[in-house]
Amino acid sequence: MPDPRVAAYAELLVGRCIGARPGWQVLVATTTEARPLAQELSRLLAERGAYALTRIHFGAAFPVDRDWLVAAPPELAPTLPPLELDLLGRVDASIFVLAPEPGGEALAEEPLRALRAQALAYRARGRRREIPSVRCDFPCPAYAERAGLPLAELEDVFYAACLRDWDEWARAMEPVRERLARASELRILGAGTDLHLGLAGREWAIDDGHQNVPGGELFTSPVEESVEGEIAFDFPAFAGGGEVRGIRLAFRGGEVVEATAEAGEELLLAALATDPGARRAGELGIGCNEGITHRLRNVLFDEKMAGTVHVALGDGFPQLGGRNASGIHWDLVKDLRDGGEILCDGETVQKDGVWTIPA
Amino acid sequence: MRRRDRAERWSVDDPRVARLAELLVERCLDVQPGWQVTIRTSPLARPLVRELARAIARRGAYALPRLSWELERLAVDIPWALEAPLELLDELAPIELYQGLNDDARLTIMAPEDARAGAAVPPERLSRIQRALEPVARRARALEVAWCVVQFPTEAAAAQAGMSLAEYEDFVYDACLLDWDAEGARMQRLADHFDRTSEVRIVGAGTDLTLSIAGRTGVVSQGRRNMPDGEFFFSPVEDSAEGVIAFSEFPASYLGRDVEGARLVFREGRVVEATASAGEDFLVGMLDTDEGARRLGELGIGCNPHITRHTRNLLFDEKMDGTVHLALGASYTYTGGLNKSAIHWDMVKDLRGGGELWCDGELVQRDGRWLI
Repeated sequence: MPDPRVAAYAELLVGRCIGARPGWQVLVATTTEARPLAQELSRLLAERGAYALTRIHFGAAFPVDRDWLVAAPPELAPTLPPLELDLLGRVDASIFVLAPEPGGEALAEEPLRALRAQALAYRARGRRREIPSVRCDFPCPAYAERAGLPLAELEDVFYAACLRDWDEWARAMEPVRERLARASELRILGAGTDLHLGLAGREWAIDDGHQNVPGGELFTSPVEESVEGEIAFDFPAFAGGGEVRGIRLAFRGGEVVEATAEAGEELLLAALATDPGARRAGELGIGCNEGITHRLRNVLFDEKMAGTVHVALGDGFPQLGGRNASGIHWDLVKDLRDGGEILCDGETVQKDGVWTIPA
Repeated sequence: MRRRDRAERWSVDDPRVARLAELLVERCLDVQPGWQVTIRTSPLARPLVRELARAIARRGAYALPRLSWELERLAVDIPWALEAPLELLDELAPIELYQGLNDDARLTIMAPEDARAGAAVPPERLSRIQRALEPVARRARALEVAWCVVQFPTEAAAAQAGMSLAEYEDFVYDACLLDWDAEGARMQRLADHFDRTSEVRIVGAGTDLTLSIAGRTGVVSQGRRNMPDGEFFFSPVEDSAEGVIAFSEFPASYLGRDVEGARLVFREGRVVEATASAGEDFLVGMLDTDEGARRLGELGIGCNPHITRHTRNLLFDEKMDGTVHLALGASYTYTGGLNKSAIHWDMVKDLRGGGELWCDGELVQRDGRWLI
């Protein structure tokens, strides 16, 4: 008996996320690990009268041909075949379902760079919002292992996070968004944390599960030079295939002036050294997804967990007024559920991870 | 879990996989730098796909893997094929069509998880998909693109062949990893004899069929477009087939379906009577695909010395020493054939038990053994 949640998840991707229409050519790229979802996506696209251009790969971190890029000459490895570029230029929508294999050997630096370059090329038009495009995950054994959960429990958290009444949720969050949008400054208080972020002239957006799955956050780009204070992040962060724990950052004039970590500090410092924009905050987000009850060590989920906030180092959102540019956008998550507080212009709006204003 | 079992199997590197990949990339396709090589198969062929990706990359060419759990030959998957509106089946996605008209080489690796998967799709839908793929398939038949069809040993393929997986792996690799230059020379001597022939007569159980190959040149398949290979074949003169042939020894299989006891009567090259003890509806349905589906596109003579048993897999069965096969439908244009159709359905006739092959009145093979 197939899991009915797979069908509901596929419906979310085909219906809400990309809104497939008759005659569309839809790229579906995923791995062999996501078989039930891939087949359901094919079925739903057919039902909608759309073509499914399905590209199944063996479980790399992003669905591309890992065996090929490891063996290809260095100048060829980061490039896509011309026929694939033609496809990317012409598809009407794309769905990227990440589902790595368990125990996949880590890639060396050069193939990893090639994989990233290919992934960027695949996602370029979606990122520029030229076409509806969604990048999402499938609950597979590798993710269960990463989350430290049995697969069945991971599936429960995963689907509880993704399969929500997003329109209803967005309506309920609108007053909170309006309150945040009126604020000129936001302050985050918590263990080892007192951070001020200027918001004047910046928009807040509600992520209601359209091109980001799961949805469930409010986010903006803070005024770049306004970020002041310290923040200690509780959740582990992931970079370059490694883990960074116990990150503490101090900001002065919007720039990170002090950065330490209990583990993986060299990865943190390397990320900060990427480019000048990497030392500034490109995003401030507030996680509001009540379905996420367990840390999955997957930032797309962790950053949405209700009662957390996240600050991203690097690239900001121009559509929200953000001006910071960087080659990285690295979300770092702070848990506020135990003694944390969010203040807007001095007024407490959230305490211990619970809204104190009407939501 | 099944996936774990497979993972364990993959951990045992069979050196024959890399040898097969090398044969495919170097001899069969002769991949050149910058080429785009489409690889259609199922995820079960993973060890071979991996070696191919490496070998293609080493030649400075691109691999375009197209994995599908079923219908690896058709460029669509079953859940889509079952649900899509019929008019969508009639035309390939424009992007897929463009890819099919512009790839430099293509490799189809049969690696079934379920040998009967294709049977889930109604024949009418399959015919429409086949027709939509016709411009892509035509390039292959005209040799405008390098191509090869190969078998990868899977549990389902082994079961269909009535063998254990280990036994079947030996069977597959023994049939593929041959000295193809030597095989080619041996087959060429036989083909030369047929090239001098105008009328071929096939006699056997329930069978007496004559066809003309006058003016047509034989093609010796010596390890390029099929793996395993080992046959020589002609496109018979389209209106020449006269008589009857009974495919009574082996089922005639196509797109995952079996037709048992197919019997075809030809007049002036056209099938005028088609019966079967099982699967007759499917047989007749396929014959009705288009006008060319009722005419012969190929007469082939199997010569692979390592294929001595029927395995319910055409790629092998048609190469079986001591058999001939006839294909309904499209002919290969490079053989001088003129028949056009969206189908190409090979049916194999065993001549080892009392069969005879005649060339212009001279008996050239009896009981599957050459007399020339």
